[in-house]
Amino acid sequence: MAQEKIEGAPMPYRPYGAEIKETRPYSPCRAACPAHTDVQAYVGLIAQGRYHEAFEVITAPNPIASVCSMICHHPCEQSCRRCTIDEPLAVRHLKRFAIEKSLDYRRARRRLVQKTKGKSVGIIGSGPSGLTAARDLADFGYSVSIYERHPVLGGMLASAIPPYRLPREMLKEDIDDVIAKGIEVKTNCEIGKDVKIDELAKQHDAVLIAIGLSLSRSLPIPGVDGPGVLLAIPFLEDVAFGRKPCVGKKVLVIGGGNVAMDVARTARRLGVKDVSMVCLESAEEMPAWKWEVDEALEESIKINHRWGPKAVRREGDKVKGLEVVKVKAVFDASGRFNPSFDNDQTSLIEADTIIITIGQMSDVSFLKDSAVSLDERGRVKWDPATQMSSAKGVFVSGEVVTGPGSAIAAVANGHRAALAIHLYCQGEAIEGKLPAQEKEKIEQMPPEVVEKIAKEPRLEIKHLAPEVRCDSMVHFEIGYDEEEALKEAGRCRGCGGGAVVDQKKCMACLTCMRICPYGAPVVTSVSEIRPEYCQACGLCAPECPAEAISMVSYDVREIRRTLPQTVGRIEPNRQEPVIAAFMCTHHVGVLGFDLPKNVRTIPVHCTSRIDVLDLLKAIEAGADAVAVVRCGDGTCKYRDVARRVDARVKRGQELLKMLGFDPGRIEILSAASGNGGNPYAAVCANFSERIKQMGLRGTK
Amino acid sequence: MIIGSQKPIEEIWEMVKDFRKVLVFGCNTCVAVCHAGGEKEAETIASLIRMRAQQEGKEMEVNHLGVMRHCEPEYFDPVMDEVKKYDLVLSTACGVGVNFLSDRTGNIPVYPGINTSFYGAVEAPGNFVELCAGCGNCILHMTGGICPIARCSKTLMNGPCGGTNNGKCEVSKDIDCAWFLIVERMKQLGTLEKLSEVIPPRNWSTSRDGGPRRVSLEHIRAYEEQEAQKAATAGGKK
Ligand SMILES: Cc1cc2nc3c(=O)[nH]c(=O)nc-3n(C[C@H](O)[C@H](O)[C@H](O)COP(=O)(O)OP(=O)(O)OC[C@H]3O[C@@H](n4cnc5c(N)ncnc54)[C@H](O)[C@@H]3O)c2cc1C
Ligand code: SF4
Ligand code: SF4
Ligand code: SF4
Repeated sequence: MAQEKIEGAPMPYRPYGAEIKETRPYSPCRAACPAHTDVQAYVGLIAQGRYHEAFEVITAPNPIASVCSMICHHPCEQSCRRCTIDEPLAVRHLKRFAIEKSLDYRRARRRLVQKTKGKSVGIIGSGPSGLTAARDLADFGYSVSIYERHPVLGGMLASAIPPYRLPREMLKEDIDDVIAKGIEVKTNCEIGKDVKIDELAKQHDAVLIAIGLSLSRSLPIPGVDGPGVLLAIPFLEDVAFGRKPCVGKKVLVIGGGNVAMDVARTARRLGVKDVSMVCLESAEEMPAWKWEVDEALEESIKINHRWGPKAVRREGDKVKGLEVVKVKAVFDASGRFNPSFDNDQTSLIEADTIIITIGQMSDVSFLKDSAVSLDERGRVKWDPATQMSSAKGVFVSGEVVTGPGSAIAAVANGHRAALAIHLYCQGEAIEGKLPAQEKEKIEQMPPEVVEKIAKEPRLEIKHLAPEVRCDSMVHFEIGYDEEEALKEAGRCRGCGGGAVVDQKKCMACLTCMRICPYGAPVVTSVSEIRPEYCQACGLCAPECPAEAISMVSYDVREIRRTLPQTVGRIEPNRQEPVIAAFMCTHHVGVLGFDLPKNVRTIPVHCTSRIDVLDLLKAIEAGADAVAVVRCGDGTCKYRDVARRVDARVKRGQELLKMLGFDPGRIEILSAASGNGGNPYAAVCANFSERIKQMGLRGTK
Repeated sequence: MIIGSQKPIEEIWEMVKDFRKVLVFGCNTCVAVCHAGGEKEAETIASLIRMRAQQEGKEMEVNHLGVMRHCEPEYFDPVMDEVKKYDLVLSTACGVGVNFLSDRTGNIPVYPGINTSFYGAVEAPGNFVELCAGCGNCILHMTGGICPIARCSKTLMNGPCGGTNNGKCEVSKDIDCAWFLIVERMKQLGTLEKLSEVIPPRNWSTSRDGGPRRVSLEHIRAYEEQEAQKAATAGGKK
């Protein structure tokens, strides 16, 4: 169901086709992203070398996009429709590439936002959720103040996630984007200690509690209290803030989740050679991401599966090891986490330092005796439909209420809270106005389509070798270079960016149905193009005689309007012919863009999208000639494109001939890419030469 | 369906060259299906005319438009104000559309942008064949479903003639002999003996030669006329 438009809501960047997209099922990647980042749109923009636009699409729903490009667990990839063909798209790495390419651009576009609403909001906590709400509320026009007990902003991103996974420069760029909007920042300010919550509520028109889960849980076992036993969050905070935590030579981490992985891998980077882990689960049952586990194993971290902690053994003061007991089952018959143990099987894992990483909880002690009620288990009471706590005007968001999750999920919840606060401040009802999290999405690809798509393995990024990376906290992933990024972006099937029919115009001629290589259109009284079949190749749109088909993303109409400007001024005394070159941006790629100056490039998503009319219009705009520049044989990611485009070019040539032009003024140029140099510059120069021989239009 | 084909640009140019504001007006039904005169082709022709004008150094404003059908007024009524802003309408509808629109544009001439060719079928994408001549008195039940009027080069009613040659017509070896097809088809249907009956000379008055034809459905007209009358007596104007 379409969401009601909220008055005064800020207008994020919308790529071409964004409106129509909202009315259709989402690509699964987008539906899976808690913030509904339009992956298909930005990956397509990257594939065309439009990095800054990609950046806009990425950051529109996500203020911590740089961070996510480093550490997101990328549910988009897990649900990518390419999984049924070969492997998912490397969405996160592509995001990182686009962001890295946009550093100067993003810095230049930071702007103060006018405070038009005359009301103020206080936000407690500067993690993903608090930052998101701060950005949204600033964009709405509120005065926003952030209160953070740590010396820096960012929440767990700044204080816990180890720098080898998240370089702090990246986080800083994200935070600077937000703060530049004119947000008041109060660091080293702990609510409850430095300022009381009730005071804060009086100072602001609304307050948001976004304090996350900042306390580590401990274990109620003998021997835990005393030196040598640490808790995860304080340990990670020490590392994050440059205080060297006190660890021995043999570190044992208790826990099998992602935070445990971070702790163990961080310990390795503190110079500890012997790091091991112990967890209740088997390798398959472990909650940590598989890639995290694999990387930890590469770093020679040992994992003891299916042991439960029983007691910390000490010799005097010193930790000697952990006594463990064999796990019989982690889950009970109904699938609930409820470990059972075989008390006859015990063992001692030797260690001089033990770090407990079995989960976190929030520190809500400052809310006691305030208007914000807690439930019987000491958690903040809240209403998910309004994001409000029991105290009027005091809202909650992020992990403090949703429980542990991902940074991007905290972002999504921050958006909801900001919208709720805006409605509240405007005196409107909140219930029913916050967007639904679940979105309808395009089905997986039918097998008859899958078999028509060439396999193309995912381009994995490189990592620093384990021997090297364990020596320091240096970031261990090596991002894509441009060529790699373009190649990987080209793998995207453009789900949801494909063809749509204007049913008022379609007259059921069957052309699209006959043409589509993937069987997507079904024509009854009108054509309907099934999004789960459509590969967004674009072949059908130019063939529709009723102009009824457009492409959701990268429709040629986007470039057609500006064609005369792209062709540009035609100098009457020019020496070189003006050539309008429609360029397939895949393969021919952005890399081939270093072309002679007289070649005016018109990047198209694929030459499949060019119409006879576009060829004519370029001539009409004054070009001496038109080139359709496409990849060499066999590299096109779609089917049937070459012969259809051949036919269109032939028709264009015939029409030119009718006007008395040399038909050779429209030509297809192609070259084998990838063999070094700039083959496209060469073919274009060659073509220029031929046109020169034919003569320049309107010159003597 | 009506099949048409585009006129050469030179012929079009001769028609349009003396006008300043030209609208190329496409029809998105039959002639769109055969890629002759739908909105897309109208746009293409408009572009060609503009370029031709450029070549001649002529100032001309040429635009395009398309509606679903030109043979029913309700389809173009909504754009008539726009249409009337032009000096000339180059219609890429079939001849029916050109006639029909021309009756309704007052001082503005409507010229044909395409040649209306025949009633045909889409044999294969891009291949259109004539199968019926619209003679007004169908005899397909007597000829195995194959029309000798449309498909026999000589419109013979009792064929084949002596020019049949291994299933091809003497007019061209690219033309199937319709009467050969009729015989083969009727053999297959087991009705060949029907052909021994001589088809009597036809009354061609139902065809093109008796003046423009009209089909009037009394039951629908009666209602429409009553409505018109009601409106008139109520002082309303149509
Ligand atoms: C070690 C670790 C690794 C992680 N790795 C990933 C990962 O790879 N990918 C991923 O997506 N997610 C990861 N996460 C989860 C992610 O960090 C959280 O989902 C996210 O930070 C939650 O955001 P939040 O805004 O709800 O809270 P937080 O980020 O926890 O922010 C809350 C902020 O509130 C402040 N605060 C608390 N109480 C007060 C007070 N009384 N006064 C003032 N300020 C206060 C805290 O100092 C903190 O800065 C990881 C978490 C941890 C701990
Ligand atoms: S192929 Fe592209 S659009 Fe489709 S699900 Fe994967 S990333 Fe998204
Ligand atoms: S090609 Fe166009 S008009 Fe023909 S069926 Fe498809 S959408 Fe309809
Ligand atoms: S031709 Fe291409 S764009 Fe059109 S429906 Fe088929 S797959 Fe989609």
